[in-house]
Amino acid sequence: MDASPRSSSLRQTWLIASYELSKRFTNTKGIAALIAFSLLWAIILLYPVQSASVYMLEPGFKELVQSIYGPDALGQLFSWKVAEFAVFWCIALYVFPMFSIFITADQFSSDKQRGSFRFLTLRVSRDSIFFGRFLGQMLIQGCLLLLTIIATILMVLTRDAGLFTDALLSGFSVFINVFIALLPYTAVMAVLSWYANSARQASIYAVILWAVSGILIMIINSQLPAMSFLSWVLPGSQLSLMINTQGLSSLMYAPIPLIQTLAVLIAGRIYMQRSAL
Amino acid sequence: MKLITCEGVSKQYGTKAALSNINLSLDTGAPIALVGPNGAGKTTLFSLLCGFIHPSSGEISILGEKPGSQKLQNVVTALPQDASLDPNFTIVSQLTFFGKLQGMNGKQAKQEALRVLELVDLSASALMLPKSLSHGMSKRVSIAQALMGSPKLVLLDEPTAGLDPANAKKIRQIVKDLSATTTFVISSHNLEELEKLCDQVLYLEQGQLQQSVSMKADAETAFLTLTMQQSDIALLSDKVRSMPNIINVKVSDDEQIIIEHHFDTSFNLETALLALFSEHGWQYKAIMKGRSLEETLFSS
Repeated sequence: MDASPRSSSLRQTWLIASYELSKRFTNTKGIAALIAFSLLWAIILLYPVQSASVYMLEPGFKELVQSIYGPDALGQLFSWKVAEFAVFWCIALYVFPMFSIFITADQFSSDKQRGSFRFLTLRVSRDSIFFGRFLGQMLIQGCLLLLTIIATILMVLTRDAGLFTDALLSGFSVFINVFIALLPYTAVMAVLSWYANSARQASIYAVILWAVSGILIMIINSQLPAMSFLSWVLPGSQLSLMINTQGLSSLMYAPIPLIQTLAVLIAGRIYMQRSAL
Repeated sequence: MKLITCEGVSKQYGTKAALSNINLSLDTGAPIALVGPNGAGKTTLFSLLCGFIHPSSGEISILGEKPGSQKLQNVVTALPQDASLDPNFTIVSQLTFFGKLQGMNGKQAKQEALRVLELVDLSASALMLPKSLSHGMSKRVSIAQALMGSPKLVLLDEPTAGLDPANAKKIRQIVKDLSATTTFVISSHNLEELEKLCDQVLYLEQGQLQQSVSMKADAETAFLTLTMQQSDIALLSDKVRSMPNIINVKVSDDEQIIIEHHFDTSFNLETALLALFSEHGWQYKAIMKGRSLEETLFSS
């Protein structure tokens, strides 16, 4: 039947992901967003991260924190070999997921609105589009995360060049952990951006989803303690527990976002397969 | 193997039936026309064939596969209605990307993109952004993407709507040129255009397939359409009726009559008509073998 060579699904998925990555870094909107992101992180690194790491190196500050929160509450934070990464860790764990909601909000909505998907679905399966776009967004976020980690390492080296190896190892563990934490956020945004008519609408749905779910889970937890496992359903539920961990031990929380991602992607795939284009 | 088969296909949007119980079977070959008034369900049928939407009931098969099947990738292409490219990237980069998705390498994909843009006379616009193109140019780019590779079936939803006459003619010529290897299914309101291109016409109305008409000449009977410039139409039709081999004469409007006659290869009827015109000093505009598509579809 085939008149011309057909591409494999994996190659198509990869092509879509890499095209997504190149789109982000080559068009005007993408470059503007990248500049804004870089400026924001430059401010975060220069002020909160650098200033806080100076305090963290002082023994008096550690004692103060331990006297307020108890000896175990934030103990792990003071055991980071590179103080800058301890602060970066706390900020990145919350800021990157928040970014994720906004920068991955247009995985599908614009293309769906202008009908561009119709050109794609004649050439690739809906699965390749769905997983390719998701992968592309993870690659974009991976690049942004890497950029901020490299900047942090450079900042550490300006203070003490001897910390190079420790900074590199800390950077690596932060990258892996934050990257995994971003997976369910990106998956949820894939589904919401397929449902929404615009990126803005998808972001609004996300805010509503997290706010309403958070409140509901809080109410359920207080009224029905037996149902407290529900709090693990919401992406980001493990973040507060991850703050006081470091290195590979933080990976003990990785199954939560990985399972959430798998569940959301399966649901998203079913939804996309059944939808009209 | 049949090109397209639809068995009891229906599509509901809420309580509204866009298509009801469509049964059809189409073979590869000359272009096939899909005709019908606005809202008849033409675009819905196209969307079902492309796999953009799923039928509420019934079965569709294209070359033995379900629409949207991976096996139909690169085999079925389409000009979808109201679909546009990403406004932020050049036309050639997007078409090249489509080529890569179709299995070509980077170089082949770019060459293919430039080839199809050349076909629709848009080589000079290859580096332009879609948002800077006119409606007609955008339509031609969309047609170009449908011609990439070597598709066996191309579905064109109103391909010449909004195009200037020169470019519409060019698109018709492309369809004619590629008809030997590719079967086109064309939806259009331009009956004259479809008449020139298509052998088979499907007529949809209110979501139902009302007629499937072959434009090929009948072996037993034939039609002649006579368009006059200066004549007494009533007298002309009377005179024609009295000629031999005439089955029926229908006055279509003030200027046109349609003559149904027994098939004859010796042009006796045409000769007799010309003699009649000469005798009465009547002028004709056109003598056309066959009937117009409009007449075929809508004559009672």
